[in-house]
Amino acid sequence: MSTSASPLIELQNVHKWHGDLHVIDGIDLKVGRGEALAIIGPSGSGKSTLIRLINRLETISSGEIIIDGVPTAGFTGRALRELRTEIGFVFQQFNLYGHLNALDNVSLALRKVRGVPKAQASERARDLLDRVGLASKAHHFPSQLSGGQQQRVAIARALATEPKIVLFDEPTSALDPEMTGEVLSVIRELPKAGISILVVTHEMSFARDVADRVAFTDGGKILELEPPEVFFSTPKHPRTQRFLQQLLSPLSVVGAA
Amino acid sequence: MNGIALDFAGVLTGLPGKWLLSGFLMTIYVTIAGSVLATILAVLLLGLRIAPSAPVRFVGIAIIEVFRNTPILVQFLFWYFAAFSLLPSSVRIFISTDHAWAVLPVNNLILSPEFLSAAWGLGLFTAAFLAEELRAGLNAMPRGQREAAISQGFGHWATLRLVLLPQALANSWQPLVTQYLNLMKLSSLASAISLAELTYQVRNIESYNAHTFEAFAVGTALYLLLGLVLGQILTRLGPRPHTNRPARPTPSEAAAKVVGASSDA
Repeated sequence: MSTSASPLIELQNVHKWHGDLHVIDGIDLKVGRGEALAIIGPSGSGKSTLIRLINRLETISSGEIIIDGVPTAGFTGRALRELRTEIGFVFQQFNLYGHLNALDNVSLALRKVRGVPKAQASERARDLLDRVGLASKAHHFPSQLSGGQQQRVAIARALATEPKIVLFDEPTSALDPEMTGEVLSVIRELPKAGISILVVTHEMSFARDVADRVAFTDGGKILELEPPEVFFSTPKHPRTQRFLQQLLSPLSVVGAA
Repeated sequence: MNGIALDFAGVLTGLPGKWLLSGFLMTIYVTIAGSVLATILAVLLLGLRIAPSAPVRFVGIAIIEVFRNTPILVQFLFWYFAAFSLLPSSVRIFISTDHAWAVLPVNNLILSPEFLSAAWGLGLFTAAFLAEELRAGLNAMPRGQREAAISQGFGHWATLRLVLLPQALANSWQPLVTQYLNLMKLSSLASAISLAELTYQVRNIESYNAHTFEAFAVGTALYLLLGLVLGQILTRLGPRPHTNRPARPTPSEAAAKVVGASSDA
């Protein structure tokens, strides 16, 4: 983890409007190579939009996003598609391609975007499935896999083009509790391999144990950005304090309201 | 059967029998040609209809609405009487000349103004419906499928071709089969532009030996047979959604399930 001299990702005064709604309100953020950043915050705080801006699933209203030293906000067409192959994205609902088995889900972009020959792409897909512990499920279709298995295939798919960055949008929120562990343990290996990860999550234990830093977003701003030991023990912003308190004892807060 | 003596030999043998066979085959030929054309045109129309550019989309909408909302009989008449005469005369002469290589059994000429107008009319009319069925299938896809493909660096057309269309095709296969069956049935209207298909030949028999009831009975049975066979073939050949694998029931199991469900109710 380092946020020093050359960050891998740098957001400069990024804004996003949905009509009149100011979803992202002037965010500045630097993420280092191999850093794990957890992004937490209440619903509608803009945390998903924040990571969707980085690979441009959302258009940027204003501001700049510099990735590996290159300003990307103006990218369109081919440049944008190439940028996206450098950034993996893992969705809350997995979004595996329903008509393809696990192996083809992982190898499709390699073959059709990168032009890797089929045999080679399948080889790499097999390695990736092995890495997420699903080598035996290569020929299963998404509908034949559990939620946790689908999400692990989705992670393997996001890694297929060897991205430097992987963005996670609530990767365990759609999973049964007993399946979150298998997914989180796969995610936590990525920074060790030099991949920067940005994880929008409600898993406080993951934020505490895996993240190098935790960002708290509310109202489209990052209100707090600290290493987890600082973030969880001495949150500075009142809204962070209230949010954490709510998480620790939800009933008391609901009762008080 | 008061006063009606049925004489099926009068339509199944001799000249009428030959006409029926010829008409039945012609119905099959024009159905195949129309279906191939419809499939190609449907892909083109769908491409226009969902193109990123608004003017291109508008062109797609306009074509689809024109051919979906006007009677196919009128379209046949337009292609046969109006459009055909606009072709260069050398082309018209070439088409109207008898070519030995363009004769299929039994004595069915497929390079003729009648056949080309009918196949083209059926193809375009059906393509408008196929394109809309496919578009409905695409619209029913979860947004996440598209987002996943976009996030992997696929462009608009690659996303469609590799991710969305294969699934939309599987999901809307039954309505698509219905459209192909409609095409087969609508080919009977091409008798109005003198295409010597089944209905045309049935009426031919009627005026030849007045075996009206028998001729229409046999004609109807042949349409029914063709529809059932075509429906079965298309359903079996079609892609299947992967949503309920591996527990996809065989037809007999599915039938048993339906019976079970209704007896529970």
